[in-house]
Amino acid sequence: MSSTTQSPIVARDLVRTFGSGDDEVRAVDGVNLEVAAGEVFGFLGPNGAGKSTTVRILTTLLKASGGSASVAGFDITTEADAVRRSIGVALQDAAIDPLMTGTELLRLQAVLYGIPRQSQSERAGELLERVGLSAAGDRRVGTYSGGMRRRLDLALALIHEPTVLFLDEPTTGLDPMSRMSLWEEIRRLNNDGTTVLLTTQYLEEADQLADRVAIIDNGKIVREGRPEALKTDVGAPTLLISVSDDHTAAAREVLAEFGDARPTAEGTLGVGLTQGAGDVSNVVRALDAKGIAVDHLELRAPSLDDVFAEATGHRLEGAS
Amino acid sequence: MSAALGIATRSLRNIRRLPSAFIPALLMPVFQVVSFSGTYSGVTQMPGFPTDRSVNWYLPMAVTMGASFAGLGTGFSMIRDLQTGFYDRLRMAPTSRRQLLLGPYIAAWVRACIAVVLVTLVGFALGARPVGNGLGTFSLFIAGLGMATIGTGWGLGLAYRFRDMRAAAIMQLTLFLGLFLTDAQTPIEVMDGWLEFVARWNPLTRVLHVARIGFVDGIGGADLLIGIVVIVLASVGAWAFAFTGLGRLDD
Amino acid sequence: MSAMALSRRDQIGALSSRSVMSLVRQPSLVVPSLIFPLFFVALGTSAFAQAINIPGFPKVDSFLDFALAGSVVQGVLFGSVTSAAALATDIETGFFDRLLVSPSSRTAILVGRLAGAMIYGLAQTLFFTLVLLPFGLSIRSGIFGLIAMMIGGLFTALAVGALMSAMAIKTGSSEAVQGSFPLMFILLFFSSAFFPRETMDGIYRRIADLNPLSYLVEGFRSLTIEALTVTAVLQTILIPAAISVIGIALSLRTLRNRLAAS
Repeated sequence: MSSTTQSPIVARDLVRTFGSGDDEVRAVDGVNLEVAAGEVFGFLGPNGAGKSTTVRILTTLLKASGGSASVAGFDITTEADAVRRSIGVALQDAAIDPLMTGTELLRLQAVLYGIPRQSQSERAGELLERVGLSAAGDRRVGTYSGGMRRRLDLALALIHEPTVLFLDEPTTGLDPMSRMSLWEEIRRLNNDGTTVLLTTQYLEEADQLADRVAIIDNGKIVREGRPEALKTDVGAPTLLISVSDDHTAAAREVLAEFGDARPTAEGTLGVGLTQGAGDVSNVVRALDAKGIAVDHLELRAPSLDDVFAEATGHRLEGAS
Repeated sequence: MSAALGIATRSLRNIRRLPSAFIPALLMPVFQVVSFSGTYSGVTQMPGFPTDRSVNWYLPMAVTMGASFAGLGTGFSMIRDLQTGFYDRLRMAPTSRRQLLLGPYIAAWVRACIAVVLVTLVGFALGARPVGNGLGTFSLFIAGLGMATIGTGWGLGLAYRFRDMRAAAIMQLTLFLGLFLTDAQTPIEVMDGWLEFVARWNPLTRVLHVARIGFVDGIGGADLLIGIVVIVLASVGAWAFAFTGLGRLDD
Repeated sequence: MSAMALSRRDQIGALSSRSVMSLVRQPSLVVPSLIFPLFFVALGTSAFAQAINIPGFPKVDSFLDFALAGSVVQGVLFGSVTSAAALATDIETGFFDRLLVSPSSRTAILVGRLAGAMIYGLAQTLFFTLVLLPFGLSIRSGIFGLIAMMIGGLFTALAVGALMSAMAIKTGSSEAVQGSFPLMFILLFFSSAFFPRETMDGIYRRIADLNPLSYLVEGFRSLTIEALTVTAVLQTILIPAAISVIGIALSLRTLRNRLAAS
């Protein structure tokens, strides 16, 4: 904890409220964070959990109601300009103007970041090539696909070679192919030494990319650590079964003998098998003895979703 | 300077690419000079009316209104940028807040110049004739740019504070009221009743007088001086209103 | 047959009360069509107070008496555009199509829509008159003249509403209908709505002479500033009534084309 000044992202007791009186909402409610240099830090949580609000505070777009934070060694309140100079940000809704071309946007970004006139075009060209948009540079952004917009957004965030990169839900709404190529690019940047904080509501994304994960729910961080360690902590694998509707209650009783119920999607029962995977056959036999036919059965090794469910009492994926 | 110019270039490029957002604001003052000069062509016969051409009276008004629309137009664009999130990109940049603000001002000045030139040309085509030396046309520009500066600060300040279309409605209504509660339609000397008082004390009346200097009799150097003082003070006030609004965006 | 007629009357009643209610429930749409004309009257009464003495100006006690007619027509025009925009919104949201497949007759649907606007037009005429009376407005033609003006307001609303509805049905876009506001301004400014034709010069005079709106406004104006005459009453009521007939025919034809196309 004493090493706070070295870590590129540090937040202490960060609070952000909206509204006042009875309508007050604590969107961020005492968040503590420390992201080490060269790390990819995943901020995992459902919509409205407070991820984006935290990012907006750390990127100087929003004032904190309480607590403090520093980014790249600079205080976000008193040294906002130095923070801005050090970070690259790609926000959730890819805020790019559909009337402009990719090249024009990169040029404007270069101007805003004080990149000398003579190197603006060169830099724009490099970045377009890097994200595979060279051919589309002179087309208006309005004609880009979702994946192209995100890649352009990433290129824009890189214009001044920032040491810290904030990516707010970089792949939300993208098709699997575009998602993979964006992941590839993020890994490449991280290998070059860039510290990355990314928010996501996709478990797989956090699992694939993040060195460390923080799970946020209702404005509070409920778990934090390396994905592997978090999963190990949950321990028991989850057995998911589905039975016909009139047997649901009886099946739930049977399952309770084998471990704690786990939150699941509608129509499915879940149990954390205390004795491990070996107990599956016992479960099936016990159900059979009660005359309950099993329509579907699935055993899942602990996942970040289990970590999430264990920490918050509800599922992130499949929960609608 | 270059960041402000970059932002202004983008705004101006966008009005070229999406002219439907700009053309109505340009046609409105043209319509005003054409329709007011025509409908009210008889007003010059009122005793004490300081010109015998109605277009001489209504051209400066239309120019001033057109220039204020240029200011409002940048306010409207700002609302759009705030709503789409594009403005977050600008706010996250290590650009000084003054430059961020100056960008839309420059765009507004260019738009205002286009409006002033167009409306003036239409006015001349309708028979407007400057009195005295040619400096009258020059003061049209001063009033136009002044009004655009005031309107831009007012529009941006409202956009930053409301961040949605409510700001657009307030901008339009306040400027409309502000400009009509002057001697826009007839000189104060021929008015009767409440408007005479309101118009006399409305600072925008002084801005209109700057615009009128070269087109009607009876406005002199003192009016020019008062008008310019009003323009400067109002511009500074409007800039402060916008600047504090920009600062509040992170609240 | 009489049962048929009754049910049709019920349909018209239901539709028109819906259209009136939709105006009442959205004050932000209605208030401008009441406030702006009054604002311009207030402005004009002060700004053009001395204009009533210039050559060619009709004999009036004050500019307020002169201005009433223009503000009534202006208010009714804007109010009717709002009604037609509501119809276009019905088309956009599919509500209109649901009406068309219902057993309601097409005429009932259209008239129902316009009946709301008509009642509003009548109410506006009364509203402007009542608001301005304490400020010195006088209606020279008396109570019968006022009644004639209210009927004229009703028909003006029907006329504009029907023409605008044709546009609403054709485009199905409330934006396009709202976009006709500038057209209303052009029609008003190039007529004698705000200033007498007699004081205008050259081309403006000729345009105002050709603009039917001039004669409509002048009917209302005669009833305000002169004693009651049959000519003024007929002018106030028959001009908008005639435009209404054309507008309704146009709307029904547009509707038939729309249905044939879909």
